[in-house]
Amino acid sequence: MKKLLASMVATVVAGTTFANDLPQQSSPWFQDAQNVLMQKMETPRLRGQAKNVILFVADGNGVSSNTAIRIFEGQAQGLLGEEHELSFEKFPHLALAKTYNSNAQTPDSAGTATAMLAGVKTRQGVVGITDNVDRGDCVTALDNQIPSALHLAERKGKATGVVSTARVTHATPAAAYAFAADRNFEDDSALSDEQKAAGCVDIASQALTADMEVILGGGRRHFIPAELTDEEGKTGRRTDGRDLTKEWQAQGGEYVWNRDGLMKLDPNADRVLGLFESSHMEYEADREGDAGGEPSLAEMTAAAINVLNKDEDGFFLLVESGRVDHAHHAGNAYRAMMDGVAFAEAVQIATQMTNLEDTLIIVTADHSHTLVMQGYAQRGNPILGLSKGLDSQGNPVTEPSLAKDGKPYTTIAYVNGPGAVQGERQDLSNVDVEDMDFVQQALIPMSSETHTAEDVAIYARGPWAWLIDGTVEQNYIFHVMDHAAGLSQ
Amino acid sequence: MKYLFVFLLFLPIYTYSSDTIKIRELYAGDMQFSELAKSLDGKRVKISGYMAPPLKAQADFFVLTKMPMAVCPFCESEADWPDDILFVRGKDTIDVIRYTEPLIVTGILELGTKVDEETGFVSRVRVVNADYERAL
Ligand SMILES: [Zn+2]
Repeated sequence: MKKLLASMVATVVAGTTFANDLPQQSSPWFQDAQNVLMQKMETPRLRGQAKNVILFVADGNGVSSNTAIRIFEGQAQGLLGEEHELSFEKFPHLALAKTYNSNAQTPDSAGTATAMLAGVKTRQGVVGITDNVDRGDCVTALDNQIPSALHLAERKGKATGVVSTARVTHATPAAAYAFAADRNFEDDSALSDEQKAAGCVDIASQALTADMEVILGGGRRHFIPAELTDEEGKTGRRTDGRDLTKEWQAQGGEYVWNRDGLMKLDPNADRVLGLFESSHMEYEADREGDAGGEPSLAEMTAAAINVLNKDEDGFFLLVESGRVDHAHHAGNAYRAMMDGVAFAEAVQIATQMTNLEDTLIIVTADHSHTLVMQGYAQRGNPILGLSKGLDSQGNPVTEPSLAKDGKPYTTIAYVNGPGAVQGERQDLSNVDVEDMDFVQQALIPMSSETHTAEDVAIYARGPWAWLIDGTVEQNYIFHVMDHAAGLSQ
Repeated sequence: MKYLFVFLLFLPIYTYSSDTIKIRELYAGDMQFSELAKSLDGKRVKISGYMAPPLKAQADFFVLTKMPMAVCPFCESEADWPDDILFVRGKDTIDVIRYTEPLIVTGILELGTKVDEETGFVSRVRVVNADYERAL
């Protein structure tokens, strides 16, 4: 035993040469794993200061959701799928985050985003405030605001920005720049006259005063007055008569409302507000059909980095794929998969446009969902398809597996949500289960599929990225970003 | 309630067939009507979708959506109608079917923006004189 151990140590040190030939040595599985081992041993622990920090959040992209997206993207590229790697899965450092809110076992995005961005856990539904304030009590919240990594970066003279496919006033991006006792305070119409008189400010207004250089996403309605009809024919929500897009332009910023405008952005522009939809931007699966034309998450990320890179002091950027979450809530895995692929492409662009040595990139999810990959599907089975298994010799069969009710089932299912079966389960034999509008079957009937409480993964590369390690509290992410870039110093 | 339940059990059950169209097939990009939609204007069609929770009781119409009208209590303080919805005018008062049950609607397709006199509901496309069945 001792001898074997010694030989294994020698093997590791010497790399791919083995003292005793192993019969499995010629297998590609073996060789690939050996190569990964070599790579990992050579991965440097970068200790220089990070000039730039990018935090990528795929809202609701838990570990099971991410696995399904990996297979989906791989199969779209003609692979079996399981062996594929999403862009950020090539990052060298990984941890698991415990996502609970200070008052909830299963978290929401406002509490989790505040944890990641401001370094402390807080209550469900609140943005950028401590957990001793009741949700909705915006007056008490005024004395309990906590600065985010974005605020600290701004104070340090860095350029800052937020990008999201959800409304830019939605929970995750809002936690980067705003303080609000309720995530629903997206514009002034959500605040009472008393609250306004006491000094409470809506989230969209705070987007302008935060001094960010880049704001790209949806949510135009919260920036324009109710009397105004926007470029795509939808009215605003503000009751104070303010047009924040005009105010932004008066401050010297560029304003764009469609993909065309973003693509033709003045290359010298150093401040840009892009609001591409009245509410959330389209799902990636529906983007082509948009009236005004919308940029992809990767296009927005690239545009953001181009603007922010002009600052010699570096930048802090939050990029959110906001609608993986929404598709899961709808029980519609197809759209979650498509938005997940678009998210991986956005991370890919960011790695290409920045340097490993001076840019810390952290990729994570804020919480998980009830998506499960169930049954015993054969290798390469279409990820959205009916489950087809193996025969007794372990070879693939061509007919779908049948449940105890004699009907086939899909690999992907949700534990709860609108797909819940009431009464007899639908026979899926002649249903196109890979259709973009298919709602996966579920167990517990709910109008909206729910978040779940299990851990999510954190991936990291760049300076001090190796501190992303182990099972950590979600608010630890802020502390790594702060340490790497010296944000609070 | 019991009566409704029994009634639902005996509703004829349609299965998807090749002549059943999807709401999204009525549109080309940019929310313009597709060639298929134009060719079916004024004709009898079968369309699959979900019944949105009715706007009022005892109505003779409902809104058909391509997916169940799920609202995330965390994500949204209110529901937004998707752009691609279908106004369905039934032959009689609507028997409400849970908004998560897949349906097939049969009736006459009508294209073009119209305001419903009774409710003020604005629709771009309708199915009138409609029947609907659960798809199982
Ligand atoms: Zn959610």
